[in-house]
Amino acid sequence: MITRRTLGATIGALALPALLSRPVGAAEPVKVAVGQRGAWDTSVCAFGDRMGFFQEAGLSLELLFTDGGTETQQAVVSGGTDVGVGAGMLAILGAAVRNAPVRILSSNFRGASDTFWYARAGAGIASFKDAGGKTFAYSTNGSSSNLVSLKLLQLAGVTTAKGVPTGNPVATLTQVMSGQIDIGYSLPPIGFPDMEAGRLVFVGSGREVAEFRDQTVRCLICTPAFVEQRRDTATRFLQAYHKTIGAMYTEDRVLDWFAEGANATHAQAVRARSEFYPQSAMALGPPGNLALSQQQAVELKRIPRTLTAEQETRLVQVPWTPTA
Amino acid sequence: MNRVLAMRAGAALSLLALWEAASASGWFYRGVLPSISQIGPAVVRVVGDPAFARHLGTTAMEVGLALLIGGALGVVVGILVGGGRWLRAAYEPALHYLAPTPKIIFLPILIVLFGVGPSSKTAMGALSCFFPVALSVASGMALIDPVHLRVARSFGLSRWRTIRSVVLPSLVGPLVTGLRLGLGVAVIGCLLSEIKLSNRGLGFLAIQFYGQFRIPEMYAVLLVVFALAGLGNALFGRIRLPGSTIRT
Amino acid sequence: MRGPALLVATVVALGLVWEAAAFFGWVDGAIVPPPGEVLAGIPALFTDEDLVHRFATTFLEAFAAAGLAASVGVPLGLWLHASRAAGVAFTPWVAAIAAAPLVLLYPLFLVIVGRNMGTIILMGGVAGLPAMALKTKEGFDGVPPVLLRVARSFGFGRWEMFRKVLLPSAVPTLANGLRLALVFALINVVGVEFLVNFGGLGQLIADLSDRYELALMYGAVLFVILVSTVFFVLTERLERWIRPA
Repeated sequence: MITRRTLGATIGALALPALLSRPVGAAEPVKVAVGQRGAWDTSVCAFGDRMGFFQEAGLSLELLFTDGGTETQQAVVSGGTDVGVGAGMLAILGAAVRNAPVRILSSNFRGASDTFWYARAGAGIASFKDAGGKTFAYSTNGSSSNLVSLKLLQLAGVTTAKGVPTGNPVATLTQVMSGQIDIGYSLPPIGFPDMEAGRLVFVGSGREVAEFRDQTVRCLICTPAFVEQRRDTATRFLQAYHKTIGAMYTEDRVLDWFAEGANATHAQAVRARSEFYPQSAMALGPPGNLALSQQQAVELKRIPRTLTAEQETRLVQVPWTPTA
Repeated sequence: MNRVLAMRAGAALSLLALWEAASASGWFYRGVLPSISQIGPAVVRVVGDPAFARHLGTTAMEVGLALLIGGALGVVVGILVGGGRWLRAAYEPALHYLAPTPKIIFLPILIVLFGVGPSSKTAMGALSCFFPVALSVASGMALIDPVHLRVARSFGLSRWRTIRSVVLPSLVGPLVTGLRLGLGVAVIGCLLSEIKLSNRGLGFLAIQFYGQFRIPEMYAVLLVVFALAGLGNALFGRIRLPGSTIRT
Repeated sequence: MRGPALLVATVVALGLVWEAAAFFGWVDGAIVPPPGEVLAGIPALFTDEDLVHRFATTFLEAFAAAGLAASVGVPLGLWLHASRAAGVAFTPWVAAIAAAPLVLLYPLFLVIVGRNMGTIILMGGVAGLPAMALKTKEGFDGVPPVLLRVARSFGFGRWEMFRKVLLPSAVPTLANGLRLALVFALINVVGVEFLVNFGGLGQLIADLSDRYELALMYGAVLFVILVSTVFFVLTERLERWIRPA
């Protein structure tokens, strides 16, 4: 392996006084890459850090934010961060089938209840049944929004809709409002203000697809070194993470933090948590319905074949699962 | 002079009026083209935030170091490549061919080499601005007055002294031109890398605002970036070549 | 022939070093695939990834973008040259545009122009515009005054002056400007295709990166280099064709 230490150290020494401002102490540092900052399910580390749970476990988190997509995974694969939050399942499989250095620490989010679709008010689209001949959005090819929207169309019996990968929810919203796309997708709370003001109408949600409910769509991933050589750290990380999830559903101040970070009102935060992020979906543990994910990945040509038994065992590490 | 000022003022006002008109027209989703009355206060809010200075400092440091490192490497390679006829024939086209590849795709490799901090962003910026500098210096080598080189040789100057006393001074012009072009791509390289993976910097700030749908604030950050890039460009433009009255 | 031969030899040598590095495990082949793997993947690019169509798309977009940059940049440069006040007033502004990271405005362009080739061509064109305008001004500014005086003493009219004196003298710099415009246009075209996930080679690179097909991705990058090579050769030929006239 090319050692990045020497090069990094030289430039780092030249580069930044700011680097020195990192807290120094007995706590063990863990670098975490987070995709889609501000979303409820990816903010666990930020909330847990604020509540002191990770510090109690002797961990000092450094959070780095990615543009979502596969960059979270790239951060882990390249060894830049120890852990990645919100990494897409299909992308992980793509990397694993090629023996890339990535491991699954735990399921991050199951099902697709967080994703919803909407249309402009007055466009005559009230549900996916009206989607015939229209364009609909999903984030990128192979994403869970891609799979769910196709499923929703199938359930509605529509075959003439055209799917367009539109990127993140903000970009999607602007394209829908400008009339370039008929049905947009979003994650809470993006789009809530417009729906409340009557400019947008709710069209459908991932919650309606029963067969995806237990399927893990996003995982907590890590480098092989993190789970193999720092297994105790990984365990403590997951335990603190689990504790934070519990607090997110009982403590009100977390709703305020979420609202602040997502530029939403308190009411919108409450709605997001209760309607779109059931606590069961956030539970840690082995990835649910991995077989279905692999099957979908092969069908979508994201991977040439399913993982071998050896690859699967090596990939799914999950050093700790909550017993409750 | 007054005429110049009048023209600039006229152009600036027309552009602002055009923006306001587009924003108010309702043709575009109001979120994407906020009125100047929203952007102005947003600029004040963003710049006034105490955390802003830290983000600005990070990006400025990244770009500055990128120009330094990319510039230095560009000068070295430019001199080497431009120096000999065969070397130039072999490698200058290669520089031309490689220049248009989008360097952002190499970010994962840079992260492997330099980690996830500002170092990888600096590396991306350096990689981006290396090419304009190398190309500019290489073509500048061809323009060095051969008379100067002959005089140096007749004085018996060593190769290193020749480089120091004849080659390098003649290259200041092309170097500055190269750095001017490189500034833009260095800024882009650093900002795009921050957008992809970071937790500080102006690019990071801009994408945070975008994700929160705070579009006026996003424009505020971009305006600051544009202003600084323009300032940097203007500063380069003021550099006077040694021994000449011509401004670059 | 020695020049290109030396380049090819260098590339092959570097490729062998890289292959060795991957073979001996100095570099993780899962992160940076060895050249052998990249080359072996190229046929798949043609058969599975519609490479020809994508290559053509990117090529045409960059071409159109350069055309846009030229059709706006040349008149702009001429104006900056002809009007002294305009030149002094706006040349620094045009130079500043070249330094500004306009590519960051892509979400704005997306919404205004739409998710189509128009956005990509427009952004590429805007990127190449300053170079073309500045080089145009430089080219016409640089016509030796003695030539103008001689032409005037021969009684040349304005149009004849332009055609027979100004234009030929400015052509090398104009060609330089066109080349620069093409480079900036291509960088931004591929870059925006990559960022927006739409279009030709840039989108292919983004897609392959998403699917973790790194060997294929670097293969696609080779074809981006091929596009710029073709452009470079074309502009050289074009310049040589105009010059004798």
